[in-house]
Amino acid sequence: MSKITVPFGPQHPALKEPENFMLVLEGEQITEAGINLGYNHRGMEKAAENRTYIQNLYLIERVCGICSHSHTTTYITNVEELAKCETPKRALAIRTLFAELERVHSHLLWLGVAGYEMGFETLFMYTWRDREQVLDCLELLSGNRVHYSINTLGGVRRDISAEQKAGVIKRIDYLVERTNYYIKLALEEPTVAARTANVGKLPLEVAIERNAVGPTARASGLARDVRKDEPYLIYNELDFKVITHNTNDVFGRLVVRALELVESYKMIKQILNNLPEGPIAVKVNMRIAPGECVNHYEAPRGEDIHYLKSNGTDKPERLKVRAPTLANLQSVQYMLEGGWLADVPLVIAAIDPCMSCTDRAVVWDPKKGKKQVYGWEELRKMSIEQYKRRGVDFSKLS
Amino acid sequence: MSEFEKEEKIKADLEKKFQAANAQVQRKARVWAEIEPAKLPEAMAWLKAEGYNHLATVTGFDEGENLGAWYHVTDTHLIVNLKVKTPRANPVLPSVLKTFPGALSYERELEDMLGIKVEGLPPGRRYPLDEDFPKDEYPLRKDWKVEEYIAKNPLFKPEAK
Repeated sequence: MSKITVPFGPQHPALKEPENFMLVLEGEQITEAGINLGYNHRGMEKAAENRTYIQNLYLIERVCGICSHSHTTTYITNVEELAKCETPKRALAIRTLFAELERVHSHLLWLGVAGYEMGFETLFMYTWRDREQVLDCLELLSGNRVHYSINTLGGVRRDISAEQKAGVIKRIDYLVERTNYYIKLALEEPTVAARTANVGKLPLEVAIERNAVGPTARASGLARDVRKDEPYLIYNELDFKVITHNTNDVFGRLVVRALELVESYKMIKQILNNLPEGPIAVKVNMRIAPGECVNHYEAPRGEDIHYLKSNGTDKPERLKVRAPTLANLQSVQYMLEGGWLADVPLVIAAIDPCMSCTDRAVVWDPKKGKKQVYGWEELRKMSIEQYKRRGVDFSKLS
Repeated sequence: MSEFEKEEKIKADLEKKFQAANAQVQRKARVWAEIEPAKLPEAMAWLKAEGYNHLATVTGFDEGENLGAWYHVTDTHLIVNLKVKTPRANPVLPSVLKTFPGALSYERELEDMLGIKVEGLPPGRRYPLDEDFPKDEYPLRKDWKVEEYIAKNPLFKPEAK
């Protein structure tokens, strides 16, 4: 049979982000996969060199829509290490709390996407509905759903009150119950197993060879988790397990993420119940003495590593960011080769490549040269009116 | 320094086997050292055999007279940072793909963003810059300025001011 090369992306309904896969097909089977990236390159490392440490915080937050807290925490750990700043214990605990809430948010989102890609859309509807609970927690604590902006130089920007704590625990209790149902579903539902077992195989040796990170590596039996290996923030005081699985396939990745949710809920409760007293931030000098350091962090998708070099001014000399998806894409190439075309979206989704979402919009009107900010209520009203004009009335739905 | 036994050992080994310069144990779990570019592939293979089997990333840098890169190798507990420098006039570094096949995109980034030629890199599409980005401009070099690039390209009009 002759070989055909099919471009998959950069714009493709199954991809949430621009990336391109050149698939060489023999019939329905993939014999070769090439990955092309860079469609989303925004020059952030260069931009960081022209901004102060505090401005960079907001830039770095926008590296990723979901791991926003992961990137700022890695960055701020580096800055604080170079500035030799003693971050208060309470601030570290609040950062850890956000890190785990973010992991819950990201894993629930992934469960939904995986459900969608495997043709199980009810799972997608369920998990995304439940994900709203954790987004509510984040909004309750920080005022924002996606870019929490909780970190600042020397600590965090907002403290946690007793009411907020109660609100978070209430929602987490609900999520624990729901997650137990998802775990049961992942382990017992035959259609899930049939669609995901033996798809996108990544044996342990290959995972090590290709530097896989995070749940992708852990589903290949590689117990690699920065939270345990080199505890940062307050992870050395928390009681949790590193979840691994040894089926090396999409099914394993599903199980690892579902079980990690439970560990995260455990940690969130531990942190909230033992929140250390004290200040939440200390003052840090804006000019940072020359030095360099490197720190890593377990983001929801795996190890996130930042290198930072300071030069005595208030701006960094060099900042390097490596997000987990880049580390995992070399493994995707392996997973795709030898597989089937119909499995491609599922395999790609299984490493959880990043995407972002938010429910507030800014509309720029070039004719009037004006900016208009729409909130949730206004957007809702507009959409109801839009449908009314087309003869459908949604206004009775509350 | 019995506290940092593992760190001191790797530092001593790097100094003995690969004549590493400026080697230092910065703190717990961080070792920094500088080696000659020619020794890089060998040093990486040795580190991998020692259990440092995860190349976390490669950071390219511009120090003025020299360009270069930091190779951050880890066993997930301890990060070994190896620095290699290469003259700006003719920047060349050897590839480490034989030892770490996962380093492909990191090495392409060195070529694209800093203009360091990586010997042994297979042909392929550039990463991360756009196909029509000038081939002789390297954005992460310190003498490359965003303003100049925008000024040179009349078609490039940033929307926001």
